[in-house]
Amino acid sequence: MSTSLKPILLVEDNPKDLELTLIALEKSQLANEVVITRDGVDALDYLFCRGDYESRHNGNPAVILLDLKLPRLDGIEVLQVIRTTPALRSIPVVMLTSSREEADLLRSYELGVNAYVVKPVAFGEFVEAITDLGIFWAVLNEPPPGSARVARRSAQK
Amino acid sequence: MTSGHAEQAAAARDLLNACEREPIHVPGSVQPHGVLLCMDENLRIVQASESADIWLSHSADALVGRECAELLGESDMERLRTARGRADIEEAPLYIGVLTANARRFDGVLHRNDQLLYLELEPTRREQDMGFGGIYPLVRSFVSNLQSASSVDALCELAAQETKTITGFGRILVYRFDEDGHGQVLAERRDESYESCLGMLFPASDVPPQARELYLRNRVRLIADANASPSPLHPRDNPLSGAPTDLSFSGLRSVSPVHIQYMKNMDILASMSVSIIVRGRLWGLISCHNAEPRQVPFDARTACEHLGQILSLQIEANEERAQTQQRLELRRILVGLLSAIADRDDFVAGLMSSPTDLLAFAGAGGAAILFGGRCELFGDTPDEAEVLKLVGWLSAHSSNTVFSSACIDRDLPADVVPMGDTAGVMAVSISQVHRNYIVWFRPKVRRTVTWAGRPDKTATTAEPTMLSPRNSFEAWSETHTECSRPWSAGELDAALELRSAILTIVLRRAEEMAALAHELERSNRELEAFSYSVSHDLRAPLRHIVGYADLLRELEGEGLSDRGRTYLANVEESATFAGTLVDDLLTFSQMGRAALRPTQVNIRELAESVIKDLDAETAGRNVRWEFGELPVLRGDPAFLQMVMRNLLSNAVKYSRGREPAVIRIDGEDTATTHVVHVRDNGVGFNMKYVGKLFGVFQRLHRMEDFEGTGIGLANVRRIIERHDGHVWAEGETGHGAVFSFDLPKL
Repeated sequence: MSTSLKPILLVEDNPKDLELTLIALEKSQLANEVVITRDGVDALDYLFCRGDYESRHNGNPAVILLDLKLPRLDGIEVLQVIRTTPALRSIPVVMLTSSREEADLLRSYELGVNAYVVKPVAFGEFVEAITDLGIFWAVLNEPPPGSARVARRSAQK
Repeated sequence: MTSGHAEQAAAARDLLNACEREPIHVPGSVQPHGVLLCMDENLRIVQASESADIWLSHSADALVGRECAELLGESDMERLRTARGRADIEEAPLYIGVLTANARRFDGVLHRNDQLLYLELEPTRREQDMGFGGIYPLVRSFVSNLQSASSVDALCELAAQETKTITGFGRILVYRFDEDGHGQVLAERRDESYESCLGMLFPASDVPPQARELYLRNRVRLIADANASPSPLHPRDNPLSGAPTDLSFSGLRSVSPVHIQYMKNMDILASMSVSIIVRGRLWGLISCHNAEPRQVPFDARTACEHLGQILSLQIEANEERAQTQQRLELRRILVGLLSAIADRDDFVAGLMSSPTDLLAFAGAGGAAILFGGRCELFGDTPDEAEVLKLVGWLSAHSSNTVFSSACIDRDLPADVVPMGDTAGVMAVSISQVHRNYIVWFRPKVRRTVTWAGRPDKTATTAEPTMLSPRNSFEAWSETHTECSRPWSAGELDAALELRSAILTIVLRRAEEMAALAHELERSNRELEAFSYSVSHDLRAPLRHIVGYADLLRELEGEGLSDRGRTYLANVEESATFAGTLVDDLLTFSQMGRAALRPTQVNIRELAESVIKDLDAETAGRNVRWEFGELPVLRGDPAFLQMVMRNLLSNAVKYSRGREPAVIRIDGEDTATTHVVHVRDNGVGFNMKYVGKLFGVFQRLHRMEDFEGTGIGLANVRRIIERHDGHVWAEGETGHGAVFSFDLPKL
């Protein structure tokens, strides 16, 4: 594993989703390390290097794949903290969600999410979406700020 | 009116105004046909009228300071002392009997006012005290005839007849004050030599307010001789209070010179008025005229007073009865109107369903209902623009819930008074916020006013003649305008009642609506929560099924039997379909909730972009697209794209197997709408099921023939209806279908 590549932070509570996402990441052949946190509080502990992550070497992940529905702190709340913390503000955040609720989508964009992916039912499509995201965010060292609507290849038919 | 007349009228008005200010209850003098002695509580004389000279052979000055006992005998004094102790002499004259003084007999009357005891002595030929027996025969015939008098006019006729019999005056008039204060003669009894005044009108200014006040306090008023010089009081003012002596309750009080002149202008020298007081208000007068001076003894005056009181009670009863009848009638109509309103969703429609009642209700010739921007007219009304102008003025200038005027010429600014025959308006406001009104209209009443007085009489003497009835008539007719029949209290009350009933009904409907809206909001919230969880929680397991099935196929597919692989494929397909179904369902529910963002949409361009998106579905097919004239219309482009996508992909799907499949997109315009048709030559459908076509999850074809969740057309309908448009379809099994929608032109 190359150390020059920053890790991908995956925040996902559902074990099945976690497994499928990891498989999708694996299939997309990204070389980045994947750090897994299981809820919002855990994710923030990682980002702020506290609690279980006190001793980790500093540095932000290349991209955060954030599930919307999480126990304790949900995705929207985590996103809010990230966007209002100067040290974390520039990390690309991709909201991964099972929800097609417009309200969640709007709220996420208001808070400056870089991409919003409604996980497609068809697994093949999901792998494709993850691949696109990985290529776009994880490989590029200097992620451009701003919207990545181009990456919204959700199956919204 | 010539300028000379105008000046005269102005002078007359000045005099009338002066007349209104004249303090007639403190003239400082009495009529000379009797004596007034004012005493303190010890029955010592502190004030006397100069007429004491004539009747008591003592000058007024000589009497002041003397004990009353020096004038009257001990038995009379005893009666005086008894009367002094009675409570009912406060501001009310009490007959104490025949008193003897200076060897003459007098009717003695006592009352107390402003710390003074007023003893009034009027010469009488009576030997015995006047008793009830003296009055009763005078009033008896009147009372026995009352039973047969059914109307107010008939009552007044009787009263005039009896008063004439009792007093012997030459002319008796009974008149009523109308709401403007003018006295209208209702009944008359007269000798040949007197002119008739029946049906005539005395202007309100003839009886100034302070005179009305006195008529209320003192119900019988005699002027025995207009030519007699008033007899001043000595000293002039009330020595106990220092104020001018208040003669409000004195029967001998002298008359204002203006009134004397007025009498002379009418060629009468004696007059008597009896007040008719109904419900505490001066309703009218019994007015007695005589060309020669005339004395009316105290008992006859008392009889007339009683007669007046009986008449008052009868009139009151009569008016109450008439009013009760009117109110009952109004109530009957009101109940009819209300049940008509209650039967319908819209109270305006309820009122409109019984226009006769609506008019009869207010005794009106026309009515207007203004509600929610509508203006409905019934019967004889001004035109709509005039009604709106009038109501506009009312809503800006009248804060009352009910406005009424029988003389809009007089009461409203000229620029809002409608042309034509309308003179009376009654309007009830049925909203605090909006200009919602019910208005009734009444036409002008043409009444011929005959003036009391001789039109040919000209003023020859100085100032006071300005107040001849003739001149006051001219002053009056200057301000008099044409009016309608006045709105009665009962009518105003009924209008208010109608108003509150309407408000109750409208309010109740509003509350029902609010409750429904609340309920709707609640179920919407539940629906949203439901969609959210469907969207989130139901999709996840479906994704997992599909994902793991996919991985299983990848991992173990080789090792599975053919049947196993088919099963796995079915698992995947079913879960995928369920996922699609959930997604479609969610789209459908969002359709009802998402806000529309309308812009200009070019349907031709929209259709072409959708056709491009359908490439995958039309690949390898022979599909011919045709376009007619298509509109540019206003709508939410994303939603309309979904509509076109559904219709076009349906057309592609159901024309499968046609060579070629022909799909035509066409438009037409009506006066108010843009219409779009999508026509195909596919399998069509049986018109029997057209009603089901746009329902949720309605399918007219078997799954294995045509794929789909059956929610597409439901979405189409929902989107178009949210744009205030309509959807419809026509088809024939085997011969294609045409799906259409229209959207309002904006």
